[in-house]
Amino acid sequence: MTGQFFGRRVKRIDELAQDLPPGRDLWPAISAGIAQAIEAEKGASAPTVASSAGRYYWRPASALAAAVALVAVGMWIGRAMTLPSGDGMVASTPGAAENGAALIPTAWQRDEKYREQRNALLVEVQVRLQAMPAAERDKVGASLATLRRSIGEIEAALGRDPANALLQELLVNSCQEEMRALTAVRDAGSQES
Amino acid sequence: MTKTDTVVGFDLALIERARKGDSRAFERLYRDHVGRVHGLCLRMTRNPDLAADCVQDTFIKAWKALPRFEARSSFSTWLHRIAVNTVLEKRRGPANAELVVEDPTEYEEPVLSFDTPVEESELEAAIQSLPRGAQDALVLCGVYGYEHSEAASMLGIAVGTCKAQLHRARGLLRDRLERGVR
Repeated sequence: MTGQFFGRRVKRIDELAQDLPPGRDLWPAISAGIAQAIEAEKGASAPTVASSAGRYYWRPASALAAAVALVAVGMWIGRAMTLPSGDGMVASTPGAAENGAALIPTAWQRDEKYREQRNALLVEVQVRLQAMPAAERDKVGASLATLRRSIGEIEAALGRDPANALLQELLVNSCQEEMRALTAVRDAGSQES
Repeated sequence: MTKTDTVVGFDLALIERARKGDSRAFERLYRDHVGRVHGLCLRMTRNPDLAADCVQDTFIKAWKALPRFEARSSFSTWLHRIAVNTVLEKRRGPANAELVVEDPTEYEEPVLSFDTPVEESELEAAIQSLPRGAQDALVLCGVYGYEHSEAASMLGIAVGTCKAQLHRARGLLRDRLERGVR
């Protein structure tokens, strides 16, 4: 085991390296184990990870910051409110250049129509927020800020790894979620008035 | 926004994808966290092959348990909790002999430091030579920075016992480093 360590000297025990990568790639074995587990679940007629993705069972555990923010916004809007679909919506994120995402030549970032829609929506949402009681305004504002922060984080990661398809997909999904949340806040306001 | 916030936020995005069955997202989580999980397993098992087995089991268990992951704790801490359980299972038996603790507050001590720098390999060897219970407490609290309550919860022992084990570990470690144990 000591072969893992190099000749560095430390003065405190918490200076020891926390990361000690294994000598070989363990992912193939893990991937095989996961595949086996999925097969075993299917055999037992239990819902698989993939097939149960959209079911109620998964919803309470929404860990994604954007999803958490959506839940918070959704709670404020109320159960009767139906969120509009974001199908066909293209995503864009103003301020992307600050995070390095301007390097990414993606169509959604150049979509003027989307930018205009989002900017118009933001104006309406701002008006709506101003009309809210302070506590609600803070809650909804914080949730929307969380969404924006998530988008910023993904953009920053994309700036470092522009070809990453997973990140691109995450970015589009998060932008769509933000638009849904903004639309929901605006529409909730018009319902009440 | 701190780097940690960014990392945690990115983890959450990947976790959400993995929950929906995206193995690429889970592989990314594996790549980001495997070093830290392996470091813990290696230090707790003292055996590279067993540590690798524990890492594999940890990530397979984590995949299965992803629906139950809640963002209250970090993904890294959650993985460590699973890893500690896995190591303890593989050891087959009680992990730590309980120490009698009359007053746990007497064991509150600052981080273990040395007057003169110690070579990393020498320090790791001294940690490996510790009794299991003392070693576990030292690795979790000393190396990975967990609070006594977190470490005790992971190890399934009382907080006072964890403090006593850490206190014992510090004494033994100093003694062994002075004697140049290898």
